[in-house]
Amino acid sequence: MTRYLIRRLGHALLLLWGVATLLFILLQAAPGEFFTEMKLNPQISAETIAGLRTQYGLDQPLPVRYIRWMGSVAKGEFGYSFAYNIPVATLLWPRIRNTLMLTVPALIISWFLAVPLGVLAASRKGKWPDRVFSAGTSTLLALPDLLIALLFLLLALRSGIFPVGGMSSTAQEEGWWKSALDTIWHMALPVAALVVGSLPILLRHVRASMVEVLNSSYMRAAQGHGLFRNSLLYRYALRAAANPLISLFGLSLAGLLSVSLLVEVVMSWPGLGPLLIEAILSRDLFVVIAAVVFSTIFLVVGNLLADVLLYTFDPRIRMQ
Amino acid sequence: MEPLIQISDLTVDYIAEGGDVIHALRNVELQINGRETVGLLGESGSGKSSLGLALLRLLPGNAHVTSGKIEYRQQDLLRVDQKELRKIRGADISLVFQEPALALNPVLQVGLQIVDVLRAHCKMDKSQAASETNAILRQVGFAEPERIARAYPHQLSGGQRQRVAIAQALVCRPGLLIADEPLSSLDTVTQAEILELLRQLKQELNLAMLFITHNAGLLASFADRIAVMRHGQILTCGILEELRRTPDSYVQEIISPAKIIPPAMTATHSNGKPLLQIRNLSKRFQQHQILTRKKFTIQAIEGIDLTLHAGTTVALVGRSGSGKSTLARCCAGFEVPDSGEIFLEGGPIQKLSRQTRQQVQMLFQDASTSLNPRFTAEQLISEPLEIMAWGTKLERRERVVKSLQEVGLDPQTSDRLSGEFSGGQRQRLALARALVVEPKLLILDEALSGLDIPLQATMVRLLLELQLQRNLAYLYISHDLSFVSLFAQSILVMHEGRIVERIGPGNNFQGSSHPATQALLLASRSLHAPGLPLSQ
Repeated sequence: MTRYLIRRLGHALLLLWGVATLLFILLQAAPGEFFTEMKLNPQISAETIAGLRTQYGLDQPLPVRYIRWMGSVAKGEFGYSFAYNIPVATLLWPRIRNTLMLTVPALIISWFLAVPLGVLAASRKGKWPDRVFSAGTSTLLALPDLLIALLFLLLALRSGIFPVGGMSSTAQEEGWWKSALDTIWHMALPVAALVVGSLPILLRHVRASMVEVLNSSYMRAAQGHGLFRNSLLYRYALRAAANPLISLFGLSLAGLLSVSLLVEVVMSWPGLGPLLIEAILSRDLFVVIAAVVFSTIFLVVGNLLADVLLYTFDPRIRMQ
Repeated sequence: MEPLIQISDLTVDYIAEGGDVIHALRNVELQINGRETVGLLGESGSGKSSLGLALLRLLPGNAHVTSGKIEYRQQDLLRVDQKELRKIRGADISLVFQEPALALNPVLQVGLQIVDVLRAHCKMDKSQAASETNAILRQVGFAEPERIARAYPHQLSGGQRQRVAIAQALVCRPGLLIADEPLSSLDTVTQAEILELLRQLKQELNLAMLFITHNAGLLASFADRIAVMRHGQILTCGILEELRRTPDSYVQEIISPAKIIPPAMTATHSNGKPLLQIRNLSKRFQQHQILTRKKFTIQAIEGIDLTLHAGTTVALVGRSGSGKSTLARCCAGFEVPDSGEIFLEGGPIQKLSRQTRQQVQMLFQDASTSLNPRFTAEQLISEPLEIMAWGTKLERRERVVKSLQEVGLDPQTSDRLSGEFSGGQRQRLALARALVVEPKLLILDEALSGLDIPLQATMVRLLLELQLQRNLAYLYISHDLSFVSLFAQSILVMHEGRIVERIGPGNNFQGSSHPATQALLLASRSLHAPGLPLSQ
């Protein structure tokens, strides 16, 4: 197992390096750079721009820039942000923390809702709870995530109970307890938007996978042996149905991140989302690369986690 | 004496997806007394499994009980509430299913699955439950119950899994065991072992049993009474001697299926050059573990010699894992042997072109997985002709109709999807597809094992008729020695990848000496029972 993990970790690092390098090359190939727009400003002289380019090393040939950047990555700085004039890492870490503050609770809540609801729908297949869920998930799946986020924003605006955006209210020097509550209060709507966006897919998968297992002959055998209903559903059926769900868990980790970026922009949450958009528009090269590499890390970690979970939960995989 | 369970006037309908009503059970009357074994004999689709499931109300959701009563201890099982029903299931009435691989939860240790049954019915602590589990595992014949209890289903063999399923069913000492085809998916030697175990447990635990099967032979010595079922009705019920005297021809056929195969048909013998010749054939498989990447070699077959003439049948008999299927796959060209030679009509088989390759056809065990369910019968049969670019569309159509008639299917059904045919009909369809390219050699890899015994006999009769007409050669793979002795000209017994015994027309089983042959013979006899013509 340990050897397997080390090997997987090696693969992951290689993948991340590949993604970063590819992005580096592709973004260099794209026309224009951070300082191009300055040329339009008559107040900035060509000499100043040339000086800035030299300062940031943009006048060097591509291999040199690449090697310099790699050196900065090794130092843990991930290059320099042109716009903020600080190392990318310093800029990115608080933003990543803020994004995780949304995605992690959203992930936990949506799975905690999806599993029991999916099991309920599957065990009452064709009856009214199943139909209600089916209609509900279809409707939610048809709504784009952007619209869901906007609807929540509208709700906040009309009701006035929830803050319309941001991460904290102005007065926050009232002790950590108050400010924590304040943050949670601000988190509520974006997290809810994320949950509503991701729940339908998860619920449908849980239901489909449970329906298949509940139809199997070993479930009929277990029923014939007179086991209790809860033990049948959660101990026997859910464990056997878990494999596709665990794989989905890995993917949902990465999927949620991309939805989160959108929700952050709409609800002006100071996470990765707004920063990434700003960086892409202004061609703040190294910020873009670092943000994309970070979302790749999410994907890789999600899959690795899923594999490890599969290994622990399914004896058939463990024995192979 | 008051019966243990009394079924009266039970009628069950299935509502199919289109709204059609299928009568699964019609006015069934049956009683089972304490400690009595009742054999429920019928072909697939006769409703015998539905009856077994109805006793515990385990029928699928689209089944409706329209009338009847199942009396058990002054209660009607069809009307007791869910809570009461749960208490009866597993504790008073229990069941064992056909496919042990599918009856056990794949992700839980088998010991835990037995403990769960115990704790669902009796209040006991963990150590008590564990010791009860070990006791029942020992009783079903495991020498090291602790080791088995920790295993997962996929780590056990088919026979071991069926023992575990039996232990799980009997751990709460029920009074009645419903055994639904508990032997069908096992090889003959294991079947005989499990049958012996059930016989012994019946004595030890004072069990009554409803034993559902299509094989009359094994009921002969096992069941006290036999009920014959057809089209959802019980035709007759009584001891074997009584059934033998009934005039009903269907009952006669199902209790002695060998009568379907006339001995005269197997008398053909041809000389001259052999059609298939195998010399010193060996095949090894390399496997490696995914995590550790350790390599190990499995010797599948070794030093096989075999000769097959046109118009004759050679049977390969052996337990599962003896290398029969590997040999068949080598002959069909699916596997490349490591050493040795296979000649078809004197030429090496590797040199066959796409056209001449059609001379060898194969019939697989499970017709439902070897036929595309989205294809109609006509598409399935004409596909090999299209691959060969044979004839025009009209000519192919004629050919399809002809071949459907040959295998005894109605040509009117040619536009039906293969999934709409029954198991026996699907195997006929597979046969039609194999024969449409006019092969010289047909390899049947346990092709009939999944079918009911009477249906197997009918299929063999069909195969023998076709053999006479077309001078076909059959390589027939099976694990049932008695059954193949009804029609094969020579029988080769395989054991651990080698042929250990050759039984030709000259020498019979009595002279056979190898322990593998003896075990197969003994098992086969106990399943087809003395006194029944199958083991003539």
